[in-house]
Amino acid sequence: MHIVCCIKQVPDTTQVKIDPVTNTLVRAGVESICNPYDIVGVEAAVKLTERYGGRVTVITMGPPQAESALRDCLAIGAHKAILLSDRAFAGADTLATSYTLASAIKKLSTEDPVEIVICGKQAIDGDTAQTGPGIATRLDFNQLTYVSEIINLDLDKKVIRVRREIEGASQIIEANLPVLLTVELQLGAPRYASLPNLIKALRQDIPVWGVKEIGADPDMVGLKGSPTSVKSIFAPPPRKGGPVFDTSDSLENAITTFLDTLFQKDASILAEVLNPDSKG
Amino acid sequence: MPKNSKGRDIAEIIPDKCIGCQLCLGECPVNAITMEGGVAKIDPEKCIGCGKCVDVCPASSILFEKPRKKKTVAAEQKAPSISEYKGVAVFIEVNNGVAADVSWELMGKGRELADKLNVPVIGFLLGYKVASIAKEAIYHGCDVVYTMDDPLFQVYISKMYGNALTQLCNQVKPEIFLIGATPLGRDLSSIIATKLKTGLTADCTGLDINPEDRLLMMTRPTFGGNIMATILCRNHRPQMSTVRPKVMKMPKRDPGRQGEIRAVKYEGPAEVVPRIIETIPFDTDGAVDITRSPVLVVLGKGACDTKYFPMLEEFANLLGGTIACSRPLVEAGLLPYLRQVGQTGKTVAPKLYIGIGVSGAVQHQVGMQGSERVIAINTDPHAPLVQIADYAIIGDYLKIVPELIKGLKERAPALLKEGVQQ
Repeated sequence: MHIVCCIKQVPDTTQVKIDPVTNTLVRAGVESICNPYDIVGVEAAVKLTERYGGRVTVITMGPPQAESALRDCLAIGAHKAILLSDRAFAGADTLATSYTLASAIKKLSTEDPVEIVICGKQAIDGDTAQTGPGIATRLDFNQLTYVSEIINLDLDKKVIRVRREIEGASQIIEANLPVLLTVELQLGAPRYASLPNLIKALRQDIPVWGVKEIGADPDMVGLKGSPTSVKSIFAPPPRKGGPVFDTSDSLENAITTFLDTLFQKDASILAEVLNPDSKG
Repeated sequence: MPKNSKGRDIAEIIPDKCIGCQLCLGECPVNAITMEGGVAKIDPEKCIGCGKCVDVCPASSILFEKPRKKKTVAAEQKAPSISEYKGVAVFIEVNNGVAADVSWELMGKGRELADKLNVPVIGFLLGYKVASIAKEAIYHGCDVVYTMDDPLFQVYISKMYGNALTQLCNQVKPEIFLIGATPLGRDLSSIIATKLKTGLTADCTGLDINPEDRLLMMTRPTFGGNIMATILCRNHRPQMSTVRPKVMKMPKRDPGRQGEIRAVKYEGPAEVVPRIIETIPFDTDGAVDITRSPVLVVLGKGACDTKYFPMLEEFANLLGGTIACSRPLVEAGLLPYLRQVGQTGKTVAPKLYIGIGVSGAVQHQVGMQGSERVIAINTDPHAPLVQIADYAIIGDYLKIVPELIKGLKERAPALLKEGVQQ
């Protein structure tokens, strides 16, 4: 069984801060990490191969530096990693990205047929959640999005059963292989890499594939293959803070003034939501 | 004006303005631009001073003064087939026989865009026994509803729905296609855009039309909500966009409105895979959907003593609300992940957001900035959430919340009575 995990290197947003004076993004010193949803997918893939045999190939499209995110995945048990890096890939939107990744998966399939593709639900920097379904559509795989648990994999019948989170419910669903999963964090945190595995991961050779290697149409990748373009960017209108009620002098006074203000300004919202008969 | 050793005028990047979008990398004909530390850098020796990077930069972060002809939009060749596409289409999402609110919100926005373009609003409706929903679509502003009413579409299977909507887009040829950014809509929209090979902009919070070039200006938050980007899809149709629920206004329902309903036959293959084995609604699972609650009482690191959860729950119930939380409480195992607000949790937009002991880091704010009113209760007057809250109460929540409960109970009857009289 051959599983391919698609990952993305993203800025660690827990380190991104706003400069309170200039109100701009402070990016200095922000580390790049493997997208948290993606690494959860790699862990799930490794677990599947531990149980059912097979191997995990991790791929990413990005600049040469994205190699370090691939090494993180090798360190937790992925067998092989490939970096898709080419100047022609730059400026890709989700349509071009899914084309590039799907082309690489097709190429990998010629050596060892790919039966499962795993992507994170979304990347934390772009939040689009479009790339996974795009890849599944291009490969004509079944797709199961928002997977929170892999319940069973039957390799004889080539059927996978998972739990997925949909609006207001979760769903137990089965699909035939080949299949693409996009995964939620609930699937399980990635393991810690042992020191020997870390060292092994650092030494492992990571091939770099460009347009030629994946046999892609140069007009369908990167900026050229992207129908959308950014027209302009601007800072969002900042939410302005309102009145502050300090309870340090008198709790009662502060609360009374607060409620007076709230009932005066936002009576309509309160009238809609207040539920004084609730049992609590 | 900087020059390189060959005496050429060269372009220069202003690192503070660069957003790291890499568009210039793709545009540079001589590969002079590389990414360094998240920003683009131009190699002065490689740069030939063509200025192509300047045109493509969305952030005006490239300095280049050499006089040259700027490419105009009109000069760009538009594919001749684009003019065949007319009308604003809206996908009507149906869950368990009920239309999703976001579909009507988009119908309202679609109406506004269609009026600017002088074209009809088109509804795409898939499901089984959905005739009444087709009528509702018309009452909410739709002119023509195309329905595929078939047992095949009783439940959502992404591949089938993707095939069906691709078929409708090819037959009807709308110039704009709007889909709610619900879990269903997000995966469906990507399938359709991939099949149609057109552009898709996810999670838009603003949509507008330039009546001159008929381009849809799709605005979405990016970089964790710190930057807004306006995206265009110039040469491909339909221009597709998903829009977050509760961002657009719900239009007024007019049961007197007239429109047309056209039944369409599904021509694609009837694939029965994947098979749904079981659907477990959250209600029976003891879980909740915090995105639907009009009021959220959100607990942060400063309010994580479980002893006081019943009091906070009473407070939430009094306001017709639900308890939610920030990430530390989930990590500590105090509340389930389903209740987490923020970048790695849920995006919420309640009428009233009350943050108790929530500091309000960027990643949390991304998930709640669409809230109508924000109240922060915190001991720290410098907490980021206090800075953006419409009302902030500084002090110990254990003293403040009981006072609020008391005050709200006293004042509620008068307010509600007044409301009835109106």
